[in-house]
Amino acid sequence: MFRIPCPYCGPRDATEFRHQGESRNRPDPRTVTRGQWRAYLYEKDNVAGWTRENWYHGVGCRRFISVERNTVTNETRPAAAAAGAVDPVLPGAEAGAPDADSTRR
Amino acid sequence: MADRPVARSAIAPAPPVAVRDGWEVSTRRASGALRLADRSPLAKVLVRADPDGPFADRIGVATGTARRTPANALAASARPGEWLLMGPPGSAGNLADDLGAPDDGELVTVLDVTHGRALMRLTGVRADGVLAKVCGVDLSDRAMPDGSAAGTSVARVATDIVRDDVAGVPSYLLHCERSSGQHLFASLLDAGREFGIDVDGYANS
Ligand SMILES: [Zn+2]
Repeated sequence: MFRIPCPYCGPRDATEFRHQGESRNRPDPRTVTRGQWRAYLYEKDNVAGWTRENWYHGVGCRRFISVERNTVTNETRPAAAAAGAVDPVLPGAEAGAPDADSTRR
Repeated sequence: MADRPVARSAIAPAPPVAVRDGWEVSTRRASGALRLADRSPLAKVLVRADPDGPFADRIGVATGTARRTPANALAASARPGEWLLMGPPGSAGNLADDLGAPDDGELVTVLDVTHGRALMRLTGVRADGVLAKVCGVDLSDRAMPDGSAAGTSVARVATDIVRDDVAGVPSYLLHCERSSGQHLFASLLDAGREFGIDVDGYANS
């Protein structure tokens, strides 16, 4: 058991969240190659130590969030501490699309 | 007509049962200081809007807080861009009308979820002790004072908690999907047994 610092709800038990995997920049689907998309989907860094991850706070704010987690100790900290932080973007939920918000609920 | 129910809560009413405001409800009165009561007959209106937009400004209830409106409805926001308005039975239309229309171009959803949600009230100085057994949020006065709201898991049910003290006594409104209502009610009774919890009947707030 460990806690995750939700930027909307504050620290909550990890059981309130669903793990969405390592946080990474999604390639543009209009220009991506098959190889790049496959790498985006399946090739993880899987580091032993601090990594940036996306989690879904299903019973709380129902938002996708990014946090940093130490995969060895399960310590967590807000992702804002990371340089070059990028908000997670869902496939099909591009910024500015009228249904961007509804796809998150 | 007056005593023919037109609605039933998801939570089975503890006897004696009567009809109030069209709902089949319990008229039992709890004897103890720690009370759990079904409040599903209260009108519930769900509002969704841009949390940074003008409609959110008009509602004026920040994420994580709850506030009484001048019309004695309770507006709570457990997550960004979502509000639940609760008022006396039958007032859903008024709650929605009081919001007014959004500005041109702003997308706002206003939905009567009275019959889609279960709502219950847990009241007593030991209420936090009951919740702490089945819920992981910090219930201290510092983290969750009167007038705060949180979406979380209670007895493994996705539940929104609103702290709404009654005459200075700690009180929590808990609402969840209707289909989980009976389970959540029973789970709270089970968790509260060691504190002497008692089922209380109908009231309209
Ligand atoms: Zn959250």
